[in-house]
Amino acid sequence: MATHQETCANTDCRFAIDGKCVEGYPLSECPHLSQLSVEDIEEAEEPKAAREAVRLINLYLGDALNRIQASSLQRRRLSRLVGIIGPNDSGKTSLLASIYDLLQEGPVANVGFAGSSTLVGFEKVCHDARAASRRNTPHMERTSAGADAAFFHLDLRLANSDLIALFIGDRSGEDYLAAADNLSRADEFFELRRADVVTLLVNGEHLASSEHRHEAKAVSQQVVDALVEAGSFRRGCRLAIVLTKQDYVLGSPHAERVKREFDGIVDALLERHGSYFGDIEGFIVAASPKDITKLKRGDGVDQLLLFWLRADAPPPSVHTEDIESTRMIDFLDSKRKALV
Amino acid sequence: MSNDRPDISIIGLPASGKTTFLAAVWHMVRERDSATALQFDALSEGNYEHINSLAKRWRSGKKQQRTQTGGMKVVSMRLKNAGGRPVNVSFPDIPGEDFSGMWEKREVDEGMVDTLAAKAIVLIINGDTIRFPAWIAEQAAIAKGAGLEQRQAEIVDWTASLAPTQVQVVELLQFLMSVPIGIGPRRIAVLISAWDQVEAEGYEPAELLAVNLPLLDQYLRNGRDPWEWRVWGVSAQGGIYEDQEKDEQFEETAALRELERASDRIKVVDGKDVSSDITLPLEWLIN
Repeated sequence: MATHQETCANTDCRFAIDGKCVEGYPLSECPHLSQLSVEDIEEAEEPKAAREAVRLINLYLGDALNRIQASSLQRRRLSRLVGIIGPNDSGKTSLLASIYDLLQEGPVANVGFAGSSTLVGFEKVCHDARAASRRNTPHMERTSAGADAAFFHLDLRLANSDLIALFIGDRSGEDYLAAADNLSRADEFFELRRADVVTLLVNGEHLASSEHRHEAKAVSQQVVDALVEAGSFRRGCRLAIVLTKQDYVLGSPHAERVKREFDGIVDALLERHGSYFGDIEGFIVAASPKDITKLKRGDGVDQLLLFWLRADAPPPSVHTEDIESTRMIDFLDSKRKALV
Repeated sequence: MSNDRPDISIIGLPASGKTTFLAAVWHMVRERDSATALQFDALSEGNYEHINSLAKRWRSGKKQQRTQTGGMKVVSMRLKNAGGRPVNVSFPDIPGEDFSGMWEKREVDEGMVDTLAAKAIVLIINGDTIRFPAWIAEQAAIAKGAGLEQRQAEIVDWTASLAPTQVQVVELLQFLMSVPIGIGPRRIAVLISAWDQVEAEGYEPAELLAVNLPLLDQYLRNGRDPWEWRVWGVSAQGGIYEDQEKDEQFEETAALRELERASDRIKVVDGKDVSSDITLPLEWLIN
């Protein structure tokens, strides 16, 4: 007789032990949970060639991780997961590459490198800003739209402190922006649901341009609105709002206006979503300036890194004054909804 | 624990000086009246042809031939420490290409796994051939400052071999701490070879590691992986050796051959201390 049980396809999920979804889904919505019969599983037959002596053993690939690999590593030690949202060309790849490249030269703001499972992935994204590429100006490949998020990993140690594993999610900016048009797209963003810090990039080059500035301001607001509405962020996670490409901004005739408008974006998001996020802060960076005579490479990235690594503030209290019912079940239900 | 596991493994990227180090150790422990922390005890059964030929080349000031790929030779020595305790030390002479291949191809020969699982590791990094990361923005600034016009060369796509030395070495050490090679805590002697070529920079070995290989320095210093580590500067040749196949002849090499003892060419730097005892890192590893 077949034995049926609920089984999770995610091998890192401990649902069978603690009944909780590792990705934070309500059990009724988890796409990996299924009814599975042990008799449904075909006995795998090892190919004959594999049984014969194998001389080469595969080592880990070192590329950016998928979510299962990242989840597995996350459980080893204290970790921070960062989700980066930004339109195309807002400097997402430059930002994550710059953190790794700054560590090539030594600790960053007293944060030291202790290891990484994604050295190959980092090397690939850094290549086009390195002299070995023989380019004349730094270049960054765009992340492919429609691809699942991948994670870059760094083990870091703050001075005299514990090791922290930092995971930086990488997904195409187009995919995030699509959520502003269609909220159902937000369901795909598992890296945001699990993020300790969400980082919104505001393209400084666009904010300095007469043609793009209004769109840049509007889209920053709209994408956060949409993702909050869709419940894509964990309540209480922190939000970093980052003005990128500060080298362009300083080289434009509108540097002061850009600063003013960026502050306006930060203030507006604080006003609208201050109670949803544990903390909201603005940062200005030049991750990969083309001309380093005015701004050094990675300018401002150190402060953002410290924000990413900062311990979470306690989750904000849940407002209960709107609950008219005195039944405990209604109170718990409203609390659950607020946390989803 | 496998019986094939050596006491000490020597690792390093191609042309880091692994074979030269082995040759210098073998010469020095067998040199008459040499004062070394580890001394030659006795010949045991085994074939010494390979190590003897390495030492012969080293003594005559000739460059070592590249270690043959596809065939690992294990060099075994029976030494004794200052207290007379015999110590059997075996070093696999592994081609550097096998280590760079671990980074580039992400695979390891099954036969190397036990070898790399030794409890003590000598990591040799050629201080004179470190590939530093270099950025377009920095180079452009230098060119601009010098009034040079940058010309567009043919763009080079990414390949693993372009990675900086420190990245490749960090990954190698991470491999040694991971499945299937990892065995838990162990000691590693980091030897910066060709010390005679880099000592003019004025750094002690640990300082040079921090300045020229900062990612590796941070990785070791921050202790995520349980390495017990120490850094030496080593000049196992003392200067330039001649390539026999190119019929090279140098005055500098001739001067080295004129030294009273062949071991006088060797320089081992530990902090501010300088000696010619090339067995000091091995003694630290074994003790």
